Amino acid sequence: MAALTYLQAISSALRDEMRADERVMLMGEDIGVFGGAFKVTDGFIDEFGPDRVMDTPLAESAIIGCAVGAAAVGLRPVCEMQFSDFISCGFDQLVNVAGKMYYRQGLAVPLVVRLPSGGGFSGGPFHSQNPEAWFMHAPGLKVVAPSTAEDAKGLLHSAIHDPNPVCYMEHKHLYRRVKGEVPEGVFEAPFTARVAQAGSDLVVIAYGAMVPLALEAASDGLDGASIEVLDLRSLVPLDEDAILDSVARCSKVVILDEANATCAAGAQVAALIAEKAFEDLDGPVVRVASPDVPIPFSPPLEQAVLPSVERVREACRELLAY
Amino acid sequence: MSSSRTETGAALVDVTMPQMGVSVSEGTIVAWRVSVGDTVAYEETVCDISTDKIDTELPSPAAGVVAEILVDVEQTVPVGAVLARLSVSGGDGAAAASDSDDSPAPEAAAQDVTGMEAAPTDMDTPAAPVRTTGSNGPRYSPVVQRVAEAHGIDLSTVVGTGRGGRVRKQDVMALVNGNGDAGTAGTGVAEGPPLHIESPYRPDPVPTPGPAAAPASAPAGGGQLSRMRRTIGEHMKRSLEVSATCTTWIEVDMSRVEAARARVGVTALSFVARACVLALREYPALNAWMDGDKYSRFDNEVHLGIAVSLGEDGLIVPVVRDAHQLSVEGLAARIRDLAKRSRSGQLSPDDVRGGTFTITNPGQYGSIMATPIINQPQVAILDLEAVVKRPVVVTDADGNDSIAIRPMTILGLSWDHRTLDGALSAQFLAAVKRNLETQQL
Repeated sequence: MAALTYLQAISSALRDEMRADERVMLMGEDIGVFGGAFKVTDGFIDEFGPDRVMDTPLAESAIIGCAVGAAAVGLRPVCEMQFSDFISCGFDQLVNVAGKMYYRQGLAVPLVVRLPSGGGFSGGPFHSQNPEAWFMHAPGLKVVAPSTAEDAKGLLHSAIHDPNPVCYMEHKHLYRRVKGEVPEGVFEAPFTARVAQAGSDLVVIAYGAMVPLALEAASDGLDGASIEVLDLRSLVPLDEDAILDSVARCSKVVILDEANATCAAGAQVAALIAEKAFEDLDGPVVRVASPDVPIPFSPPLEQAVLPSVERVREACRELLAY
Repeated sequence: MSSSRTETGAALVDVTMPQMGVSVSEGTIVAWRVSVGDTVAYEETVCDISTDKIDTELPSPAAGVVAEILVDVEQTVPVGAVLARLSVSGGDGAAAASDSDDSPAPEAAAQDVTGMEAAPTDMDTPAAPVRTTGSNGPRYSPVVQRVAEAHGIDLSTVVGTGRGGRVRKQDVMALVNGNGDAGTAGTGVAEGPPLHIESPYRPDPVPTPGPAAAPASAPAGGGQLSRMRRTIGEHMKRSLEVSATCTTWIEVDMSRVEAARARVGVTALSFVARACVLALREYPALNAWMDGDKYSRFDNEVHLGIAVSLGEDGLIVPVVRDAHQLSVEGLAARIRDLAKRSRSGQLSPDDVRGGTFTITNPGQYGSIMATPIINQPQVAILDLEAVVKRPVVVTDADGNDSIAIRPMTILGLSWDHRTLDGALSAQFLAAVKRNLETQQL
């Protein structure tokens, strides 16, 4: 075990996979010589060479299109979108080509797209989005979103081993802020939810960067109420059993998304609860998310838009008092 | 609503005193809008009622003719008491005319779901304009209904601790886990948290009017005190009886506040409120309740009562909930809203309960000092009087004294010597002074 940051855990997973399996190769903008915009692949080109650590043109469609072909003939490509926002340029290759290849032709596409996502650093509207729900809506893709260093590594190993195209949402805000003990070598984290903190009065359901936020909100200021925090980890597949189990025990639910509220991952969770856990509810299902606006560049405006610890506490307090 | 059928085929429908908040147990008829024999429409106002400090209108539960009026003006009766009876013709299909079993009213539907016997009268009361539960009657969440059904609990007997008296999962689980003595709920269920939502205004004993001494000469005005005046009087007297009230004053230079408030466009009260909230976080011993010999201190929240004068009628103390989360501008907006609704009679019972500290501000007429009376069960109250320009001795950075003209005010703090001592009260006042004179609020 070693204490790694979230970012080091991602690097470690990539390095271990490349050492263990020569089919694993990386593609992306400035990931080779420059080592990646966030330095996730720093030094990789020296160890694995330019054939396995490919600097590509600024063309997301080409990156994913090539990766689909590589995956179809047996390689294990891992593509980096420099910012997850840029994936809109590769949307067709991912959603229509990769996502439907197995359904149409019976061909597996073991492809991972790494999506550095999320705001909180004044990146403005093109560098701060959380586009995971776009891909939840597209059959044939899996979507995972780690919140801890251990899961950052474990879920990336699982994603690379998975025979399906997987969108791996890595939250930029967590890169250097989250640190934790991470097992060495190759290990898999399951695509299931994880109880980050057990409780009995109310459950906050979150994923990615919203998990540490939920834990902070639950740490005090709620009059000693027993708050559970459920870390979804995987959005597709969604761990229905874990969600329904938490709701059955807590009966009050706050669902937290950093993404824009409409049709976000949390909306799907809320729908699931309304449909399958109605008999367990003791209050309305409450959602906290970013309003449906672009993420502002201005730091105070951005802070006003993104869910805050106080907003989560207020939502919890309101629901606890209900 | 309970109704009974007369032999002629018409039904009598009771008009009852509604439940308008958790702590409200009785109400007074202020005025009747209808007389016996009048025809009233469904939800037409039949009378004005007053509970605690809230006045409201009572809508008719049905269309019909007023058959009887049972409670006189100024009479105080408990919640659920029958105030009047309406005669409703049996065959005209009026909803309320039918027996409660086939009444389409939502509360009847809720009873069908739970399979419960008819709820007690107060739950059958028509919705009052003051919304407390957001529905026309008690509604139970799916989990509460399911648990109650599994354990044979009659929900109408469970005392709810949720918002507006709502029965929460915890309330039924307490019965299930407690003693299994489900049928006799209400005992031991509401013990814990309700302190946070309980009104500081306790139900008053009905005053027994003594024989009035014959006046020496005919008075020019007056008469029976209004219910609000009597209530205020009783609260004030009881406060002086139960608390060991002391008052401490401190002088504050309001130069910074006066400059800032011209800039921000809010009242000095909002700045004092903010300075006070910050000082309460520092000295939470004053942000507390003393109820009997039970002392409850609030370290993490400040719910700030603001005394609002209603002119000759009296005053009311609405509460700025979670004042600790508000800026000066935020406090100003909430105080403006509460004052406006106080004066237009639109406060709900929930707006006046749960305060942990009170500020009173009668200084706009130029008075400079007062000895306010503590708003029970709180333990202290801050009094803000006029800000007056005075010559004061100021010392510059080099230690030279000079006389300057400064806007000064005297803050008075009445505090309960049962729970606090003078040193702490003075420290608290000094913190308020420091916040006002030197802090960016």
